Amino acid sequence: MPALELLSVLKRYSLDAPPAVDHVSLQVEKGEILSIVGPSGCGKTSTLRLIAGFERPDAGAVSISGRVVANHTVWTPPERRGVGMVFQDHALFPHLTVRENVAFGMRGKPRDRAQTDVAHLLRLVGLAALADRYPHELSGGERQRAALARALAPEPVLVLLDEPFSSLDADRRANMREQVRAILRTLHATAVFVTHDQEEALFMGDRIAVLNQGRVEQIDSPEKIFHAPATRFVADFMGHTDFLPGEVTADGILTEIGLLPQRVALPPGTAVELAIRADDVTFERDRASRARLLARHFKGAQNVYRVRLPSGRLLHSLQPHTLILPPGAPVRVWSNAGHPLACFHEGKLVPPIE
Amino acid sequence: MTSTLSPSPRPRAVGGLQGWLAHRRIGQRRLNRTLLLAASGVAALVTTPLAYILYRAAAGGAETWARLWQTRLVSLLGNTLALMAAVTFGTLLLGTALAFLVERTDLPLRRAWRWLLALPLAMPAFIGAVVHVALLRPRGGILPRFFADAFGVAIPLPSPFGLWGATFMLTLFMYPYVYLLSAAAFRSLHASLEEAARSFGYSAWRTLWKVTLPVLRPGLTAGALLVALDILAEYGTVALLRYETFSAAIFLQLSGRYDRAAASVLSGVLVVLAIAVLAGEIRLQGQARFEQVSSSWRPAPRLSLGRWRWLAFAFVCFVALNTLFVPLTVLGAWTVQGRLDASFAASVYRSSAQNLWGYAWNSVWSAGLAALAAVILSLPVAYLAVRYPRLTSRALSRLCQVGYALPGVVVALSLILLVNRGLPWLYGTPLVVVLAYVVRHMPQAVRASESALMQISPSLEEAARSLGRRPVMVVLTVTLPLIFPGLLSGAALVFLTSLKELPATLLLRPAGFDTLAVRVWMAAGDGVYAQAAPAALLLIACAAVPLVFLLRRSVLQS
Repeated sequence: MPALELLSVLKRYSLDAPPAVDHVSLQVEKGEILSIVGPSGCGKTSTLRLIAGFERPDAGAVSISGRVVANHTVWTPPERRGVGMVFQDHALFPHLTVRENVAFGMRGKPRDRAQTDVAHLLRLVGLAALADRYPHELSGGERQRAALARALAPEPVLVLLDEPFSSLDADRRANMREQVRAILRTLHATAVFVTHDQEEALFMGDRIAVLNQGRVEQIDSPEKIFHAPATRFVADFMGHTDFLPGEVTADGILTEIGLLPQRVALPPGTAVELAIRADDVTFERDRASRARLLARHFKGAQNVYRVRLPSGRLLHSLQPHTLILPPGAPVRVWSNAGHPLACFHEGKLVPPIE
Repeated sequence: MTSTLSPSPRPRAVGGLQGWLAHRRIGQRRLNRTLLLAASGVAALVTTPLAYILYRAAAGGAETWARLWQTRLVSLLGNTLALMAAVTFGTLLLGTALAFLVERTDLPLRRAWRWLLALPLAMPAFIGAVVHVALLRPRGGILPRFFADAFGVAIPLPSPFGLWGATFMLTLFMYPYVYLLSAAAFRSLHASLEEAARSFGYSAWRTLWKVTLPVLRPGLTAGALLVALDILAEYGTVALLRYETFSAAIFLQLSGRYDRAAASVLSGVLVVLAIAVLAGEIRLQGQARFEQVSSSWRPAPRLSLGRWRWLAFAFVCFVALNTLFVPLTVLGAWTVQGRLDASFAASVYRSSAQNLWGYAWNSVWSAGLAALAAVILSLPVAYLAVRYPRLTSRALSRLCQVGYALPGVVVALSLILLVNRGLPWLYGTPLVVVLAYVVRHMPQAVRASESALMQISPSLEEAARSLGRRPVMVVLTVTLPLIFPGLLSGAALVFLTSLKELPATLLLRPAGFDTLAVRVWMAAGDGVYAQAAPAALLLIACAAVPLVFLLRRSVLQS
């Protein structure tokens, strides 16, 4: 029995606009962390609010631990769902101390039991020494952990985290997400984590759901999402990918940088797009070529070159840090990928023929 | 999620009423029915007096209209508009100038002025007028008599009467509204805005005229329009200064001639005028965007006045002299004079059953009850407007602002007519006075509650619900504790203005229910200044308490 199940959930705020959440279906197993990632306005926060019960779905069903909490007839208000939430702005109660904030959701427990639980949680998130401070006396990261402790205190069946790191400085963020992930793991918590940051999604999630315009593009492990994107959108959004147009021929796919010997189940003459990463592209100096180096980005151990093809299309190429060529140098570009490149037709992945 | 909350435009794809209804259902969170019912009730309560007076004016009869048109309407309209324009302009000028001097220049004693210049708010304008008239009256005034005795000849002094006297007096006691608004605006304005202008080569003065003032203009004009509404409602001062405006004329029809038809017609015209001003105020209020004081805020640099420094100081001293020092000194002197006469003192302080402390108690409990009721009633309206912003809730919130457009005399007239018809048992009790205060001062409570709620992020309430609290408990344990200081401000404002309310109290009070304001007015009318003065001082002291609370909040916020 999944801890959370969404079945074809639909939510629209206006008839004029496309639905914010468009028939989204997904499952989260007990103890699993699911990252939901997508560009702003893709419906990820709406999805979270539908799970928490702050919005009602217009169609579809939401079930928590096998119990339907929202469909066209059933409606369980947020306070009876047993779902904890960490808000983007943390939403710590400013009139309560950290301890009181964490204890806020623990009503119904015996007093001493609640007190020991709060103390235990505060130790776990490293705020035991700051328990009697007010939220405004905390730093951003401390507030973050207090909000997490508060959400976890009632032992919810599910924790929702809405872009919890977006208010932190970049250097804090990496540290914080490691801590949060460790805490969630320690408690074997089931969590849904929303972010617009691909890297964060890859780091936090056991599985990742990529959302676009209210629809799920792909739900998979981080590795699959990164290396085997199901759609052009996923490949594009997860980053570090250039797209190269090509045409299917009998021998492979003909592109601007030559014929790639990979076969697809499409008739010759079909226009396709190939996802090509910097490590799939290489070049050498060639005075006869009309492709030019545009710029070199030094990345420590490696150099990333930006190359402009004769058509004007830009590709990136990963080179050892020892190779240094001036911008403007004419180069011949080809693919040295040892594997078939992801090939898309009308935005959808076309599986290669072995 | 702002998209959840903002009202969505009408659909074009699905036509007809049905499509529109379906669209509304889909587009928005459902309004809470209990809240909607409560807010509608409050809106009905505060708009009924207005609607009724408009109805009575319309039904006043062609004959009454024709008679008033030929005799009174034109001159009243001219008088009222002239005074309104003059005082509005005067307060805008004086209030902004004083705020600029205090907040943005090296005026001596700036910290003290920041407070002192706001304190005249505790003094009802008519009390100031009583003092100034007693001092300056051409025949028998204290100053003309003094000069005549000292020099043997009559020295011509400016007359306190007429349009210019009234303009001077009302500007002096109403500028603090504009002053407080512009002082807050000057403080909150981000220094970078002016620095940007300076970096383009603008001088400090040019920046002030071309950047700072234009940015602040909508908010300041809105403040001045509130003054304009107060002028429309003003009775005591204009009556004392023998300048006839609508309010004064209506009061006369009601108390002297007892012509309710004529009073209704005049009230109708006055209210239409006031609604036009209020509509302008609400429009401008929407445009006013004072920047939030953020963590990166730093004070804008102060301008050095140079040679003008002491002239500015003298100017500010002159204002404080006229608004604080002279009235308080004279009132103090009269009080002492009264105390020294033993038999007189006995008659003032403890002769009748209704002594001075009794009046004070009447003032405090009626204004306090009004403040409490107004704040409680404002809550559903404000909650709906802030948490479910859309046409319905905004309309209800606007309807609750009509009190601003209801001068005290008009509320009194309307309530006399309505209560006599519907709730005769209420008439003749002090509660009808409290009801008038609530109707008239509800806008202040609604605005205060709305701004308090707007500071509370909806995610705080959502967090409480996800932690297992029912909506009612969320309001009790999270929302109310957090907005409490804001609500207290609203209550203080309603208390302060109710305490100073004169005409509605005069017309509606049951026999024997005297408040301090009423006492001051009656005694001064009889010329027994020694009897008016202690009541006036006590009234000012009572009003100073909520005022100081409000000032501490606004001054300390920076």
